Amino acid sequence: MDDIIIAILRSGTPLVYVTLAGVIAQRAGIWHLGLEGLMIAGACATILGVVFTQSIVLALLIAVGVCMIASVLFWFVVEKLKANQIIAGLGLTGLGLGGTTLAIESIFGSQAAVSAPFGLPRIGPLFGSFGNLSILVLLMPFFVLAFWVLLRRTRFGLRLAAAGEHPYAARSVGIEPSRIRLVALVIGGALCALGGAELAAGSLQFFSQNMTAGRGFMAFAAVIFGAGHPVGAALAAMFFAIVGALGIRAQLVFGDRVPHDLLLGLPYIATVIGIWMSARLRGGAKAISGFGELRDN
Amino acid sequence: MSETTPPVLDCHDVTVRFGDVVALSNVSVSFASGAIHAVVGQNGAGKTTFARVIAGLIDPDAGSVRISGRDMPKGSVNDARRAGVELVHQSFALPPSFTVAEAMQFGGAGGKLYSRSQLERRWQAHLDALNINVKAGQRIRDLPVESQQSVEIARALVTDAKLLILDEPTAVLSPEGTEKLFERIRHLKNAGVTIILILHKIREVLAIADTVSVLRGGKLVEGPVACSGIDADKLSELIIGPSARPLDEDDRAALTGSAASLHTHVGVSEQDGAAAPILDMKSVSSAPDGDGPPLIDVSLGIRPGEIVGVAGVEGNGQRTLVRALSALADVQSGTIALDGRQVTTMPLQGRRIAGLRVIPFERNVEGLSLTSSLWENWSARKLLQGSLLSWIRPSALRSECKSALDAWDVRYATVAQRAGSLSGGNAQKVILSREMDEHARLIIAAQPTRGLDIGATAFVWDALDKARRRNCGILLISSDLDEIMDICDRVVVMLSGRIAGTFEPPYDIARIGAAMTGVTHER
Amino acid sequence: MSDSLVSIARALVFIVVALVLCAVIFSIAGFSAELMFSAILDGAFLRNGALNHALRWGLPLFITAVGVAISFRAGYFNIGAQGQFYVGAICAAFVAEWTSGAPAFIVIPLCFLAGMIGGALWALWPGLLRLRSGADEVITTLMGNFLAGLLLIYVTSGPLKDQSGSGQQASSRPLEAAYRISNSLGVSPLIISIAVMVGLSMWLLVNRTSFGMMSGLAGRNPTMVTWQGAKLWKVGLASFLISGALAGLAGTIELMGPNGRLASGFLPAHGFTAILIALVANLSILGSAVAALFFGGLASAALYLPVIAGLPSSAIDIINAAIALFITARSQLIDRIMRFRSRANG
Repeated sequence: MDDIIIAILRSGTPLVYVTLAGVIAQRAGIWHLGLEGLMIAGACATILGVVFTQSIVLALLIAVGVCMIASVLFWFVVEKLKANQIIAGLGLTGLGLGGTTLAIESIFGSQAAVSAPFGLPRIGPLFGSFGNLSILVLLMPFFVLAFWVLLRRTRFGLRLAAAGEHPYAARSVGIEPSRIRLVALVIGGALCALGGAELAAGSLQFFSQNMTAGRGFMAFAAVIFGAGHPVGAALAAMFFAIVGALGIRAQLVFGDRVPHDLLLGLPYIATVIGIWMSARLRGGAKAISGFGELRDN
Repeated sequence: MSETTPPVLDCHDVTVRFGDVVALSNVSVSFASGAIHAVVGQNGAGKTTFARVIAGLIDPDAGSVRISGRDMPKGSVNDARRAGVELVHQSFALPPSFTVAEAMQFGGAGGKLYSRSQLERRWQAHLDALNINVKAGQRIRDLPVESQQSVEIARALVTDAKLLILDEPTAVLSPEGTEKLFERIRHLKNAGVTIILILHKIREVLAIADTVSVLRGGKLVEGPVACSGIDADKLSELIIGPSARPLDEDDRAALTGSAASLHTHVGVSEQDGAAAPILDMKSVSSAPDGDGPPLIDVSLGIRPGEIVGVAGVEGNGQRTLVRALSALADVQSGTIALDGRQVTTMPLQGRRIAGLRVIPFERNVEGLSLTSSLWENWSARKLLQGSLLSWIRPSALRSECKSALDAWDVRYATVAQRAGSLSGGNAQKVILSREMDEHARLIIAAQPTRGLDIGATAFVWDALDKARRRNCGILLISSDLDEIMDICDRVVVMLSGRIAGTFEPPYDIARIGAAMTGVTHER
Repeated sequence: MSDSLVSIARALVFIVVALVLCAVIFSIAGFSAELMFSAILDGAFLRNGALNHALRWGLPLFITAVGVAISFRAGYFNIGAQGQFYVGAICAAFVAEWTSGAPAFIVIPLCFLAGMIGGALWALWPGLLRLRSGADEVITTLMGNFLAGLLLIYVTSGPLKDQSGSGQQASSRPLEAAYRISNSLGVSPLIISIAVMVGLSMWLLVNRTSFGMMSGLAGRNPTMVTWQGAKLWKVGLASFLISGALAGLAGTIELMGPNGRLASGFLPAHGFTAILIALVANLSILGSAVAALFFGGLASAALYLPVIAGLPSSAIDIINAAIALFITARSQLIDRIMRFRSRANG
């Protein structure tokens, strides 16, 4: 039993951090498809940071810094240049995936995985068989709680929601929606870095290209599934992780009778079902993007 | 004005341009404190722009604004609010998913971290103190418009407001609601708050304001003058200006809001009593769908050559009525017949082929695709008469569109220009030219003159009248009682999804008003 | 006319901005941006036979991009071209396997049919989820891409596995030579004529039928079209199916033409590049043809870079991503300059 829970926590924790980033962006009015790119940038920067500085603290700082800078770029394109959020988000994701591949190629001369001598600190033997989990797993519930307080119980949270839901209302009381969105995206960037760090340095201690494998998009789906509520979205993210862990478990049970690659697809199928269910429950999603603006004439 | 008390507001040469359009041009005006100041003008005269400049929401291109003797930096809402300026918006600026308490909290002063119950208790006390009957835990989207307005006023009074601006506050209110609002405004004035009221009805101006200023085409044509020294005729001349064509009785009636309709109609009912009704709705009820109250047992008939008006405070089922007639709402019971044919289960496409035409509520959303070209917008109705794979010739459609738009006197450069580049009146004419063709039988006109200036309004009325003479049936939904009483052969009042009364001319505004607010229930 | 000039100018300006960002990234990664760009230019457009290479990559991209444009025009963000491309190729491969031995004039049309149906079906379920329940198609089609990728791995390492293959990449048994519609250089009269037919018929569909105009209006304002009595779901479903079928067609061409077999994870950037082509072309069919040639050139440079110039091929991914980041941006400045110029001229 323990090992299943450990597996769920390992795969779910990175997802939760990135989901929180998606939640804060969505509350502020940005549908953030760049999460995947930020996450892989965070993962890559953490491993490279450990390799070159031999310090996990410095590595985390570098990862957070990189993701924050990329978030500012995204904000500039979406808010100042008025680009379509979905396409620009996919572009940011592409930059993250391509940029990290280019980085390891230029440093190590090949696209092979890069391992680090050590990863994030563990929570220690006090926790028995869970002792090998990283401290980011332990901190995860506190982050979720902090986000709930921040978004639902502070005036900043209300202002964020106003900027997302009714920008004119925000402007009319002297809040600049675009500035609020910058804050939201930068906070989100830091969280993506943590999610990426946990993914690469939590239990694995290596980075390989495309290792996020769509987790950023799943986090985005968790935001929709959780209706933008931090706790609901975090639970949705954990749900996707549970499905994934059960798939791997099922593989051990069924052996060769069920194709291994198709079991790997379970989290994606769960995501589709989650989106479908939340659409049914809430009577259809609002269109998340303005299409008219895609074409000019 | 003495030197010790500077005017509460002092604008000097304020100019605002949006692209090529000059919204405000060299407006200089100052308002004394402790009074009620009305600002009037036609749609597009710059009233809302003026309000937003004072509130710091729009950065003027030239000129300066002083509040209580202090220079305001350009376009800063925060500075304006710190100086005590609060704006109550025409369409309220409250996020719909917020609770009342959250809506009061997010822009106001007070605790940064809160618990929900503490928040609600605090704002409930504030609402109670203002005698506003709203629960702090309710969501904004669940409130009727009158309560939303009260909440917005309450929110404006959270901080120590010295200058309260209300932008067209009566547009969404019933006559009784307007009276209540005016009561509240007088109360605020006695408490020492200066009030600027943006209005467009002269009757209301004379009923409440101490001074009045007139904007026309972005210019201030009459500085604040005492209302005691001006009469309705003089004011309406100032609003419309000398260049306009001479006012006919209709215009004057609409503008001054005189209660008695000047227009007397010959009832068609007697002559055409035998003719089959164009529209025959029998006991229609619709399923609740979150877009306004559902219809409850609505019966309504329209004969050929008849204009039936639907009056009522906005949000009482008028929208559902139009949607049900357009097959866009789920009719649960009852029947709808169009020109003698049962259409209850027929989709909109079939109803349109049978002669239904709709001028929808939201011109820019439901009526036109603003980013598409004029000819595409105009052709939409024709495209739907065939199958999806039917062949079209764009050049033919373009020239057809061109001659139709010319016939309707639309001002445009080319049929390839975007619909969004037209003014409100011209955009409405594009819709009219599409929806009022010779095959139309029943025309539903939902708020067809909203936001139009007096000339365009008269044009729309004229078009409706011509359609009536062609024996079309017309259903006119309007929140402007004067308009309804002026051109309709019969008026029904909607209240909470029901028909709350039917009235024939000569109309009695008091009885219609009472039906709108549910004071009496008339059969 | 001046409107489309504005949008062409805007696309060009933001492509330049994207390239500047790429130069910064290349320099940070320790490559000379100058060297990188000249190698890319060489690989894409200047070397011998560059046009042939650009066509080889550009023709299937064009077909997929036309499908993307059709669904985007109708207002549906079907970004699942990659998955539909894979599933189309997989279905065609199965049909080729089952009918193996039959004459080519039977097998080839059947494969094309299967590929298009497969692609359309892979677009059908997100389409139905969207149109019936309102489930957002961005996420469902994205997940569809991942699922199709797994399906491809499964197929190439299971039912269609090439036992003799020894490479690290799992792949299917190669197609019989008789069923190939081009050699591995990937340009043949048949492929060119398919692309021309697709372009022509889709241009007619968009510009000369009721469907084309309705979907154009619906994409910009679905509410208005609903108030005109249109059945949006018909337009929507047709758009999903057409875009899926075209992506499946491109997958079939890749399978039966240049590749000759399925390989797990082949052409991983095809769908994304097709989306870019449609966007750069401002969703026009004609423009997509031009843009497809440009991005086809870039795709061929991705192979050229590591082999000839010794530079990483991910540089092309970065260029594509940077263009995606900026291509939908709209700066007031460009509009103003263009308006000013057109006013000065006329």
